[in-house]
Amino acid sequence: MSEHLTVPIEMALTWRYASGSAMERFAAGLRERRIAALRCDGCGRRYLPPRPLCGNCRLPLAEWVPVADEGALEAWTVMHLPILDGRTGEPREAPYGMGLIRLDGADTTVNHYLDERDPERLAIGMRVRAVWRGDLRGAMDDILHFEVLR
Amino acid sequence: MRRVAVVATGQTEHARSRDDLSQPELVRQAAGRALSDAGLEPDAVDAVVISNMELFEGRALPELWVGEGAFASGKPCLKVATGGTSGTSACIAGFHQVASGLFDVVLVVGFEKHSEGHTQTGMALTDPFWDRAVASGALGNFALSISQYMAERGVTEEHAARVAVKARRNAARNPHAHLRMPDITVEEVLASRILAHPVRMLDMCPQSDGACAIVVAGEDRAAGLCERPAWVKAAVTRHEQPYIGDIDRRLASMRTLREAARRAYELADIREPLGDFDVAEIYEPVSYSELAWYEALGFCEDGEAGRLIEAGRTEMEGDLPVNPSGGVLSTNPVGASGVIRVAEAALQVMGRGGERQVPGVETALATGYGVYAWADVVVLGSA
Repeated sequence: MSEHLTVPIEMALTWRYASGSAMERFAAGLRERRIAALRCDGCGRRYLPPRPLCGNCRLPLAEWVPVADEGALEAWTVMHLPILDGRTGEPREAPYGMGLIRLDGADTTVNHYLDERDPERLAIGMRVRAVWRGDLRGAMDDILHFEVLR
Repeated sequence: MRRVAVVATGQTEHARSRDDLSQPELVRQAAGRALSDAGLEPDAVDAVVISNMELFEGRALPELWVGEGAFASGKPCLKVATGGTSGTSACIAGFHQVASGLFDVVLVVGFEKHSEGHTQTGMALTDPFWDRAVASGALGNFALSISQYMAERGVTEEHAARVAVKARRNAARNPHAHLRMPDITVEEVLASRILAHPVRMLDMCPQSDGACAIVVAGEDRAAGLCERPAWVKAAVTRHEQPYIGDIDRRLASMRTLREAARRAYELADIREPLGDFDVAEIYEPVSYSELAWYEALGFCEDGEAGRLIEAGRTEMEGDLPVNPSGGVLSTNPVGASGVIRVAEAALQVMGRGGERQVPGVETALATGYGVYAWADVVVLGSA
């Protein structure tokens, strides 16, 4: 306990955000287990998440390209410190695996959970595949995590 | 453009928790110390820049609430909030204001009181559609990039531990530092708790309460306010695309820091960074990042950072002492941390670094690092 006066404050609040047209179309695809990226005409980069503009070329993005729900593990870690979930304010139970995944057909990587949490069994370059939830809602967490293909 | 110098600095004693001071009081202490250092009364300040990540404290409008602590009432006052780069970017904003001729004397104050709020919440409030569901904070984001960096550049856990040891031993000579550990060893770092593979507790920066201020003056005022002003030779800032997945091999590529350094070195005529700089204060939130920054800042070739730390070339007695203050690894009140980098680099140029002074500093480097990838590079010199 501090010897000084401190004021504790607790609040339960709600926010709501507009997704924008690119994300609306992307989210509709997720409901059918489809992933699509937007490709830049200038540099050819296929972007996930899809967005209105290529930041490098400053060009509007309009060409949708299909992306697989599997790809290569580009980076990984096993989290031992539980990190707060920014949707609920609750921490996720640790330890758990995380990775940056380059899905086949995309050029950017997706940051997501892994089903593997043993550092000895994780390596850059491993093939991984999305594990989808049963009741699809049209959001990124329709993918529960990625499983390592062995 | 007018020449600009840092003429004074002031900082608080940084610690895990400063319950003895409110946010405005903390800011007032750093600002007051900087003004005393310059021998200036508050009315002599033309404008104020404040640096703070207000989501961390959950307190809106710091420029209003703590502005008075920085003597800002009745003056132009701006806030800068760009994650870890907030402090260096606020300094750069102050440099620009004076260089433009709009103001003669500008006070820059950065502060954070992590103990009062939720740093993790502030970090997790990202894009609600994309990465909110998988937010892993600074720790997880770093750990992911570190796996790539280690694989590509041959850096080991022991190399990183050496960085962690250097920082905390240096901090023991800095009366303002938060983590002062004169006897820390590599073995102790390697035995500390794993937070996110391969990052251990002692590889990470602490969360600190603290504030730091600098006084910036134009060329016609600087000499009258400081015996040996730290002149701004270059100040460059670079931003990045929005998502961590946009950046290919982040720590290894680090295009923002590489491009900012390239431009700053061009402006300041730095050709051989390891030899041309006499001291560096770089923004290293995790031990591994310091190694990546050695390469991005051109202290060595890509893949040579491990050897640089092994050979002790960035220790206090090495060719280029890096972070005599103990760096971010020893003290991290985020909004203040970038201002601390600039203030510590300026103190070295002024020859006022006390026990942490590097002898004969003519040219000093300060950097900032924010969110996944933003970078600031500031070069200060004695002439």
